Amino acid sequence: MPEIHAHRQPAAEFWLGVRHELPLQLGVIPFGLVFGILGLASGLTGLQTILLSSILFGGASQVVFAQLWAAGVPPLVVGGSVGVVNLRHVLYSASMAQYLRHLPLRWRILLGYLLTDEAYAVSIKRFRDGPDSPHQHCHLLGSGVTLWVAWQASTVIGVIAGTTIPDSWSLSFAIPLTFIAVVAPSIRRRADLVACVVAAALSLICQPLPWKSWIIVAACGGIAAGWLTHYHAQTRGKFTVDKNGGTS
Amino acid sequence: MIWLVMIFGGTFTFCTRFVMLSGWVAHGLPKWLIDALAFVPIAVLTAILVPAVLIDPATQQIIVIGNARVVAAVVATIMALLTRNVIATISSGLATLWFVQWWL
Repeated sequence: MPEIHAHRQPAAEFWLGVRHELPLQLGVIPFGLVFGILGLASGLTGLQTILLSSILFGGASQVVFAQLWAAGVPPLVVGGSVGVVNLRHVLYSASMAQYLRHLPLRWRILLGYLLTDEAYAVSIKRFRDGPDSPHQHCHLLGSGVTLWVAWQASTVIGVIAGTTIPDSWSLSFAIPLTFIAVVAPSIRRRADLVACVVAAALSLICQPLPWKSWIIVAACGGIAAGWLTHYHAQTRGKFTVDKNGGTS
Repeated sequence: MIWLVMIFGGTFTFCTRFVMLSGWVAHGLPKWLIDALAFVPIAVLTAILVPAVLIDPATQQIIVIGNARVVAAVVATIMALLTRNVIATISSGLATLWFVQWWL
């Protein structure tokens, strides 16, 4: 099959990435708008809010940053919380490595910066499903740039429009709703449910802790609980069929 | 100070995305770490969203009965499980919130 088709040219890969990424913007743009509004409401300046979208370039971590900064949390705890929220990217980076590691450094830096949840989701599918092509990394450039533009533009619009939207619309509630949209369908295994329940319980129980450190505590507790459940299930199933092909 | 924290956070975030593309890590990640990282999104997002739904901003108390956000979150969760669609989840949740706030 691959012999029949000539390799797609870089521009064709780029536009394919753009086309695959576009439908996801239906969820990204409202989130960006709400973040723009929330940033101002948290006491950040318009410029800080807008630049946070390009410097951090990660929705959940930006929300955490704005809320913690507004609450007067010490900078080290703000940085640590943002770090924990963004740790998941290491997984994306690891699974992309086999497709990108041969590229020149400037490409790897650019694509690393653009490696968000949504761009990863569509481009890893392209890389895995094939066909292999020397220009396939341009697909990730296309999906990454699409998301970047949508995220920056919607943040700017949110910052501009934010002052005109009345509080009674409760638009900031769109943020927990977005997280529900991600979390609920991703609970597949018992260990996922354990991680979710433990994180939820700790986030409420640890509210009295100083510096809003309940975010870090609840997140780490949830991760640990999920991992232990997963590990326990695997060790118990050691002598039964393991469809993942490994038990250690 | 805020700029310093923004730049530090941004640099760290870039590193999480770039580290495995960098060639500095020779053999990939150990399996236990991959297993653990897989729980990061669920744990982090749950930890942020649950207090945002349950804790009343005015009193800082956990309120379940008569809390419009709880009703909205339940509707949104059902919608998320049924449709797996972000827009359907957000819009059904916001619509429920507005309706219950108006009703109460």
